[in-house]
Amino acid sequence: MRTALRPGRYLPFATSGLQTLLQYRSTFLVTGVTAAAGAAVTVFLWRAVYADPTGPGPGGFTRESITTYLVVAQVLAVAHANRVDDEVAAEVYRGDIAVALTRPVSYPLVRLAAGLPVVAANTALVGVPLLVLFAALVPLTVPAPADAALFLLSAVLSVLLAFCVNLLTGMAGFVTTNTWGVRMAKQGVVAFFAGQTVPLDLLPGPLRALASVLPFRAMADGPLTLLLGRYEGAAGAAAVLGHQLAWTAGLVLLCAVLWRAAVARLEVLGG
Amino acid sequence: MSATPGGRLRLALFLGGVGLHRLAAYRLDFLLGSGAFLIRVGLQTVAVGVVFRHVPAVAGWSYHQVLFLLGCALLTRGLDHLFTDQLWELSRKLIQRGEFYRYLIRPVDPLFALLSERFFHPDGIGELAVGAFLVVWSGTALGLDPGPLQWALVPLLILAGALIHASVKLFFASLSFWTVTSMPALQTATQLSEFAGYPLDLYHASLRTLLTWVLPFAFTAYAPAVYLLHGDTGLLRWLPAVTGLSLLAALALWRRGLSRYEMTGS
Repeated sequence: MRTALRPGRYLPFATSGLQTLLQYRSTFLVTGVTAAAGAAVTVFLWRAVYADPTGPGPGGFTRESITTYLVVAQVLAVAHANRVDDEVAAEVYRGDIAVALTRPVSYPLVRLAAGLPVVAANTALVGVPLLVLFAALVPLTVPAPADAALFLLSAVLSVLLAFCVNLLTGMAGFVTTNTWGVRMAKQGVVAFFAGQTVPLDLLPGPLRALASVLPFRAMADGPLTLLLGRYEGAAGAAAVLGHQLAWTAGLVLLCAVLWRAAVARLEVLGG
Repeated sequence: MSATPGGRLRLALFLGGVGLHRLAAYRLDFLLGSGAFLIRVGLQTVAVGVVFRHVPAVAGWSYHQVLFLLGCALLTRGLDHLFTDQLWELSRKLIQRGEFYRYLIRPVDPLFALLSERFFHPDGIGELAVGAFLVVWSGTALGLDPGPLQWALVPLLILAGALIHASVKLFFASLSFWTVTSMPALQTATQLSEFAGYPLDLYHASLRTLLTWVLPFAFTAYAPAVYLLHGDTGLLRWLPAVTGLSLLAALALWRRGLSRYEMTGS
């Protein structure tokens, strides 16, 4: 096994990622308020649409299931806030990337190792409390055990996808200095086409078609389809997971190719 | 020279010109910054549109009324964004890295010197453009016919809204004089301002109170929109007092912070 691929090599990066995070504990507060505010706006809006509590409304959602969809979508977004886009963009911008490249490890894997503790901490310290808070305020759907298990599997895949998307976003730093703009745009596009603001089944035809060909669907709508049991039998569940797996593999490949190309043309001015 | 109002104005115009030059030099950056806002706001508008495909009104607001409100929110936020973006840098790193002293050694007011570094920040232009479009488009669709008084008040309402945004920003950025960096606090406050883009009638009473009397974002969009749409002045009559008090509170905190600032030397 090539030394760059030995998992033990990445352990120090994971622990240091966690240490940095714990130094700046207030970021949890920001993540929490952002997610709670985002969830509150969408939940208030959509509950107004499903004001009639009897029977299913548009898209086959009930008042409870649409609330569950929107709240859990925000919890997933918290788990996807791995800061990889910020870190990569900043390192490229400052030129620190040059130092990182001299190490005998793969830089994308370093970022993954440093990002995983962030994901775990965000999920445990922000995502779960957020879910508990909303569960206390509004009635949510309790999923079937099998659906919950499928959801967890799917959520893990969505975390990998989010890592790839954020790595690609951070790599925009190779071509522009306004990575802030790129990250803002990415956030907006991902939030919309993942289903965070509007459940994808409620989108009008053309937008729904667009959402179904983009990878972002697998980040929130996919896991939520499984959680709420909105699929037809085993084949339906397999289709959701297959879509996720295919996009994860595709984006990992894209990251690898683009990363090589970017490093090959990278130029850092020394001082 | 620069101490007189006229000199200050000339300096502001000059610095604004410098900002516009920067805009031409970093064209891709400008397009990305403004484009990002177009995308975000565009998608937000679509999301509101999808909601209204299923119901005719939400909390008594029609589709175009909600878009009008969203447009108002973007206009005030955009105007503020255009002039006070440097406050983010104050909260993020200027105190922490000891760089703040450079605003104290210039022969102009430190706040003016600070803000002037990012006059005409291009990222705000996208917000202003979309805001103006939404207000005009939805206003036309609603057949809105403002009276002369309302027309006269529009610029003042936008200015007051922008001043409230600026005050909140200055207040939370000034906290960094005590806490070294106040970025999380400022980010949190900014996140809450997102609520202002939707009708307050949607929210729980406690959230409404918070947005009206604690962090007065209700006055940056909801109060003016309700006035322009329905002529309802119930909330609007508090606007001058709220704007004045917000500014006073922010400036007082800024001054106190300024007087206790000691540079971290190295």
